[in-house]
Amino acid sequence: MGASWTTVTPPAPVRDEPGGAAVPRGLRYANRSLAVAGTGIIWVALLGPVIALMTHLSWSSITSSLGAPGAFDPLILSVESGAVTLGVLVLLGTPLAWALARGTLPFPRVWEAGVLAALLLPPLVIGLLLVFMVGPFTPIGHLLSGLHLSATDTFLALVIAQVYESAPYYILGAQAAFSGVDPRLEQQAALLGDPPSRVFRRVTVPLAAPGLAMALAIAWARAMGAFGAVVIIAYHPTALPLQIWTTLQETGLPSALPFALVLLVVALPLPLAAYIWSARARSRRRG
Amino acid sequence: MLEADAEVDRRDFSVRVALSVAPGERLALFGPSGAGKTTILEMIAGLVRPRRARIMLAGRVLTSTGNPGAAVPPWQRRVGLLRQDPGLFPHLSVRANLLYGRPAGDQAAAAELDELTGVLGIGELLAAMPARLSGGQAHRVALGRLLLSHCDALLLDEPYTGLDASLRRTLTDLVVSLVTERAVPSILVAHELAEAQAFADQLAVLDHGQILQIGAPNEVVLSPSTRRVAELVGYAAFVPVRSARASTAEPTATPGAAGLVAGIHPDRVIGGRHPDRGLVLDGVVTSCRPAGALWEISVMTGEVGVTARLPEAAPAGQKLQITATDPPRFGPDGPAVPGRPAQSALAAARPQATSGRGTEARR
Repeated sequence: MGASWTTVTPPAPVRDEPGGAAVPRGLRYANRSLAVAGTGIIWVALLGPVIALMTHLSWSSITSSLGAPGAFDPLILSVESGAVTLGVLVLLGTPLAWALARGTLPFPRVWEAGVLAALLLPPLVIGLLLVFMVGPFTPIGHLLSGLHLSATDTFLALVIAQVYESAPYYILGAQAAFSGVDPRLEQQAALLGDPPSRVFRRVTVPLAAPGLAMALAIAWARAMGAFGAVVIIAYHPTALPLQIWTTLQETGLPSALPFALVLLVVALPLPLAAYIWSARARSRRRG
Repeated sequence: MLEADAEVDRRDFSVRVALSVAPGERLALFGPSGAGKTTILEMIAGLVRPRRARIMLAGRVLTSTGNPGAAVPPWQRRVGLLRQDPGLFPHLSVRANLLYGRPAGDQAAAAELDELTGVLGIGELLAAMPARLSGGQAHRVALGRLLLSHCDALLLDEPYTGLDASLRRTLTDLVVSLVTERAVPSILVAHELAEAQAFADQLAVLDHGQILQIGAPNEVVLSPSTRRVAELVGYAAFVPVRSARASTAEPTATPGAAGLVAGIHPDRVIGGRHPDRGLVLDGVVTSCRPAGALWEISVMTGEVGVTARLPEAAPAGQKLQITATDPPRFGPDGPAVPGRPAQSALAAARPQATSGRGTEARR
């Protein structure tokens, strides 16, 4: 006797809910709405100062503040010192970040504590302590004066202050970027014939590049905005954040706001570009 | 020729190894997890520093802790290592990955690349990024990269774990043919016996950092040198026997009168009474379940439980007579005892060993 075949209506698909229990639709909707509202509030709160800046700026205040002779000198000084600071960070901070990520240093916690100390100390305190470290009456100060240099109220002092304020952001960011590179890929490159320096150039840096770019961009923003340590040891020559402060003190808030806009315009493009480039690099790797 | 005589300390024990692999020869290191198999490969590759070693490859001293000492760094060893994770560089295309080990501007590389990608079946993937590849494709690319780098030895560390069985078979066949054609000594680490057997013409059984036995795969499986080796290659039960030539088991779980036990491999059991072919066991079926195209039947013989994979099912509680064909016998201390029935059908059909080397590991 042959088997008889009948059509069977398939059961409706069952959706797996996290946690196994079905959540009522109304509750799900309320949850999602709350999450969106909370995110929106935080986003507006974070961007609030920028929105306030845009709404309180007038064209006349921009032209009067930025039209004065030498108005852009602080900007040029900040960009120059920021560029030197980034160079110092890349040269000295990158090997330290790599060594911290790979655990090749003895007593790694001690080294990490040193980096964290610079991050946790208030910038103003860093400035005060730098006076005791590199001021004119210290051994380092004497050494510098022997080279006809000074670490107070000079371009060098500005760079030192910016390095102290931005270095932890770069080193910790770069450390995280290097930690994300699988050491087995570096081993594989070595077994394929690359000595360590070439492995670093061909594998480690390209793979860590998106994270390194973000770390560098954040360090740039911190260096451009450095104020606490700068105001103590590098009041002169006047960098952009100090220009904002002195303008505020001498002529009031409306005159200071155009300089704040300039600081934003100069400090933000690099982080934004780094973010976009990092996202594209990650997307390229996904094919 | 790859030769290694070395000792490396691990946290809980030392790994000691003495092996040599001729050009084109394939050695499989087989053993349980944590036995030290990967450590041996990493030591040969120069990624782990040994306490004492003399490692030579193609006439070059790679590591020597003697006088004069030598420690060639990994990038000068010309040793290829393929792990379970193919380790493709995610920021480089398949083509760039394949050519990674070749110097820039190498004119011969392009022609070699075309030929090898054809053999590996990855010619269409050259422009793809590794993230787009399937597991099998990624392994083919990783293998191609090693071969294009012209390494003098190929080390494979459980490379196909996680891939499906048919793909594993295909890749194993591919590696075997390429290694043979290029006359490269190769070592495979495996914790699945079938995978090791499919690859190797020499099988080394490793346990707790020691090579217990080296020989042709069939020789090791059919004639384990010790009870521990037998356990590792799948002998699941050991029944007491009266003598080295006995064809029936003792009725208790204690070793026989001479302290002898016979190893019973589930795949080397046939149904019925065949005293001319091995050891006859009487028992009662305790469980029966499907195992592939066969039935895995547990039989209680005396006080020892024996597992057999047979073509016919048997219900629990049924009396069953089975014959373990040509079982190896082991003395009280574990070493194999000669004197098994010499004329069994299986022994007569056993393939000849591919190497003239002894089955005892060199210590």
